[in-house]
Amino acid sequence: MDPAEVEFLAEKEMVKIIPNFSLDKIYLIGGDLGPFNPGLPVEVPVWLALNLKQRQKCRIVPPEWMDTDKLEDIREQERKLDTFTPIPSLYYMELTKLLLNHAADNIPKADEIRTLVKDIWDTRVAKLRLSADSFISQQEAHAQLDNLTLMEINTTRSFLLDSLNYMYKLRSNLQPGRSQDY
Amino acid sequence: MADASELSGGEESQEELMTPAELIAKLEEAWLNEKFSPELLENKSELVECVMEQITHMEENLQRVKKGDVKASVHRMEIDRIRFVLSSYLRSRLQKIEKFFPHVLEKEKSRADGDPSFLSPEEFAFAKEYLANTEVYLRNVALKHMPPNLQSIDMLKAVPEPCLDSFVFLRVKERQENILVEPETDEQREYVVDLDEGSQHLMRYRTIAPLVASGAVQLI
Amino acid sequence: MFCEKSVELIRELHRMGDGQLPAFNEDGIRQVLEEMKALYEQNQTDVNEAKTEGKSELIPSIKFRHSCLLRNQRCIAAYLYDRLLRIRALRWEYGSVLPTTIRFHMCAEEMEWFNQYKKSLATYMRSIGGEEGLDITQDMKPPKSLYIEVRCLKDHGEFEIDDGTVILLKKNSQHFLPRWKCEQLIRQGVLEHVIS
Repeated sequence: MDPAEVEFLAEKEMVKIIPNFSLDKIYLIGGDLGPFNPGLPVEVPVWLALNLKQRQKCRIVPPEWMDTDKLEDIREQERKLDTFTPIPSLYYMELTKLLLNHAADNIPKADEIRTLVKDIWDTRVAKLRLSADSFISQQEAHAQLDNLTLMEINTTRSFLLDSLNYMYKLRSNLQPGRSQDY
Repeated sequence: MADASELSGGEESQEELMTPAELIAKLEEAWLNEKFSPELLENKSELVECVMEQITHMEENLQRVKKGDVKASVHRMEIDRIRFVLSSYLRSRLQKIEKFFPHVLEKEKSRADGDPSFLSPEEFAFAKEYLANTEVYLRNVALKHMPPNLQSIDMLKAVPEPCLDSFVFLRVKERQENILVEPETDEQREYVVDLDEGSQHLMRYRTIAPLVASGAVQLI
Repeated sequence: MFCEKSVELIRELHRMGDGQLPAFNEDGIRQVLEEMKALYEQNQTDVNEAKTEGKSELIPSIKFRHSCLLRNQRCIAAYLYDRLLRIRALRWEYGSVLPTTIRFHMCAEEMEWFNQYKKSLATYMRSIGGEEGLDITQDMKPPKSLYIEVRCLKDHGEFEIDDGTVILLKKNSQHFLPRWKCEQLIRQGVLEHVIS
């Protein structure tokens, strides 16, 4: 999957904005949004929040978890445990990237947050590599992967799945009674 | 013409009362499933038609709105997003049809009356033309110049089949018990797992293919 | 050695890497077909001799030649089929008109296949969702924002955008256009995305 497609899915997540304009309810196909009143917080999907922000029509309220104290706790947990800790958002990496790239002025301690999220990501991806490695070497047939996010799965998807498929092909070619190819 | 509330034709009864928002959610599920499943899944023509209608209807409304209207631009962005998912979904299907065309057509031929078709009528027409076109090409450029006993190729043998033993990632939507996991090697034994709602797994597609079809699991 | 020519055809494609289409190797195909003809005729003679004169010692070489024939057939089919897949990919990359340099590398039968493929695809896309139709060769990437800034790299003439406005795509001119309308022109090298 193209990482841009994972980001596309992340943009569906809802985020709070504080608009500086008035607008009636918008009846979108995917649901209603608004009404919008200056200074009154309202929830919109990230794709719209970013667009409004680009046009200087709103301020984005960072999600609750996008906070240095909370992220430090998560980082500590993640480093302490061998398993994947539950993460406050399935799209934590993409949302951090999107919001920090387009609305950094609305997010307190943006640089610290960027570093913390990067640390959490690195720790988790390292764990994922280890478990993928053991999955292959143990020739496992099933693994449970709770709390892994789509973007994390995506980092290992094609490598892991291709390896497993090649191994399967090699093994099944060893089976007797296969027809002869020219 | 059918609208969202008339979506029927073998679908479950609750789907007949889908709101446009649920319709879009269904499309996104179908998109990811089709993207990650090694084989072509059952077609969702009615869903496609309903989504197309929603888009067209919205675009017609937007024609009447003056340029530069904020609301109109929000609607346009939403339409772009939906059209991307729809196109990408149909592209994944078409790619698989092209990749596995002899097998896709064989499956359609051997389908019992009343069983749901994997191909939409348009996809079926496309697949047939693709096969004929490719056969004509191979014959004209080389096969007809070969010795008499080598002038045809069994497409079913020549074109690889979808590999149902591929591993896939999935998220469970409805709890399942006693899913059989087959051993990978001779030293291992088969065992069963329970799939809890919300849990995520990595396993062979073949094991859970019926659960993808029924909507009990979502490929991710 | 038998089958060397046909394997060379496969190697030739393999060397080119994904997405590239080398010139159709008519001469290579002809040589393989000649080899096949010779193998087949030799086998006909030997089969007759084996039958009429009971020469069973001929059977292994008949079998060997037959294996070579099958392998040649398989290699040619693989060569031709792989080229079709590359040509198919070009339709998605360039749209329905291929650059001359690429057409120059295709044989007449490939052009016919390509034209038929274009037709089938167009018919399919027109039929999506009842009467509306949907061009699924567009929207290849997820939409990012409503409009993007593009610069024109060559004169392209008039271009109509969704609301009916017609703009002139003149070399070096810059425009603010809906992303989905310019994707293909960007791939064709007519426009370039200006990243501010």
